[in-house]
Amino acid sequence: MKRRKFLQDLISTATAMAAAPAVEARVAQKTGIRYLRPPGSLDEAKFVSRCIRCGQCGEACPNRCIKFFGTENGFSSYGTPYITPREQACILCMKCGDVCPTGAIQSITREAETILDSVAMGKARVNESLCLSYQGKSCGVCYRACPLPDIAIKVGWMEQPHVQDACVGCGLCERSCIQIPQAIRVIPNHSL
Amino acid sequence: MKPHIRHLNKLRWISLTGIFLVLILLPCISVYQAYVAAHAYDLLTPSEQLFYDVMETLTDPFVSDPEHDLDAVKGTTWAATVFDVKVSDPLAVVGQVSAGLEIYPSFLLAALIPVIVTLMFGRIFCGWICPATLLYELNTNLAAWLHRVGLPVGNRHFDRRLKYLVLGIGVILSMITGSVLFAAVYPPAIIGREIYYAIALGGFGAGAVFFVLTLLFDLLVARRGFCRYVCPGGALYSLLGRYRVLRIQRKVETCNDCAKCTAVCEFELNPMRDGFGQECNNCTACIAVCPTDALVFKVDIKDIPNQGPGHLGRHYRENEY
Repeated sequence: MKRRKFLQDLISTATAMAAAPAVEARVAQKTGIRYLRPPGSLDEAKFVSRCIRCGQCGEACPNRCIKFFGTENGFSSYGTPYITPREQACILCMKCGDVCPTGAIQSITREAETILDSVAMGKARVNESLCLSYQGKSCGVCYRACPLPDIAIKVGWMEQPHVQDACVGCGLCERSCIQIPQAIRVIPNHSL
Repeated sequence: MKPHIRHLNKLRWISLTGIFLVLILLPCISVYQAYVAAHAYDLLTPSEQLFYDVMETLTDPFVSDPEHDLDAVKGTTWAATVFDVKVSDPLAVVGQVSAGLEIYPSFLLAALIPVIVTLMFGRIFCGWICPATLLYELNTNLAAWLHRVGLPVGNRHFDRRLKYLVLGIGVILSMITGSVLFAAVYPPAIIGREIYYAIALGGFGAGAVFFVLTLLFDLLVARRGFCRYVCPGGALYSLLGRYRVLRIQRKVETCNDCAKCTAVCEFELNPMRDGFGQECNNCTACIAVCPTDALVFKVDIKDIPNQGPGHLGRHYRENEY
């Protein structure tokens, strides 16, 4: 009886270990890189399988914020578009979704309601020990940079930013933060 | 009088060059649009201002609002948007379907025009459109020149069916990894992407290294080796073009068995012995080189195989019946 139990365990463990790489491989690579997908992107694993790496999103981007991975984020995301908000953030013009042929980036009309409904790149998070407004020097730059002020971000009496749930994660606040390192940064949805 | 189809090969070179130049122009337009959108001409460096002025001169006659009107044409031969019509390489669709294990109808529609054209004219993408073909054929010319000055060049032969295996393995690996892997190894996709990276994003990426390796492979191992033996897109186009309607045929009455067509064929086919098959890409190089105009176009879904030696050739005349 003991031997049978042992054999059962052995077989189930071996099966699980054999199946793991195949399952693992379909999940997008997790590296330490913090990046955003363009607005309207599907969730990460689906995005990687949909995207054909044609580069049209980057070509359509008037703000030149969309860059493309080499192999630094794993081979499965080779050639896929990403945004580093501190370098250049998304202005939510929604042109990338219009040109995407595969629907990896969904086409979304450029209106506040539809953007709030459908765009979920990430969510901004404030580091209160770095933020000037929380140190008594009222700043409010992130609030003024936000394309959805009072919806995505609200400020207190000393301009302390309070990120709301409606934040879509475009990264313009992080782009414009005057602190070095930035006191507000977008946490991408695929790494939440 | 020489028939006009002899000049089709020149037309093909014009087509290849033109498409390559468009692939250079489109990223330039994209950068120019970004400059226009930024409304910051004064902040550009002098060289960027020169670029801006040149692009403005080029596009001014065609558009009134460059920031938005120039969105009309985007993309590469891998996937493009032309006046709101999306066109995409069939290999992209195969790769996407196998990676996602799902069918996205509007993307299938994007491959409709290329598939119909391939069903009718065969693998013409390879000979007439593919931006990599331009560089590969120039590479062949370089190999011929190197050979003439006495340097070693590779001319090994492999099995042409290898590329169908590459296509199959690519589909299976895409299914396993859930990522469109063809995009990383398919030269036209690489070329379009790398030109865009170099112009708009400030430098070549990893794909350029891969492409240079394929050029070296063609030069030192096998002439046109990548297209002949490896390219998964060529394999897909060959399968689609198997029953193409327009094909090249040898007129056995005027053929003199000079073998120039077989020597010039980039795809290792044998026009002199009617060996066209599914892999002929109607590039018309053999038509251009034929001294007796024995190669012509015909409308049929089958080749006429094994017509025997050409009637003007020595082999036929010495065995006159």
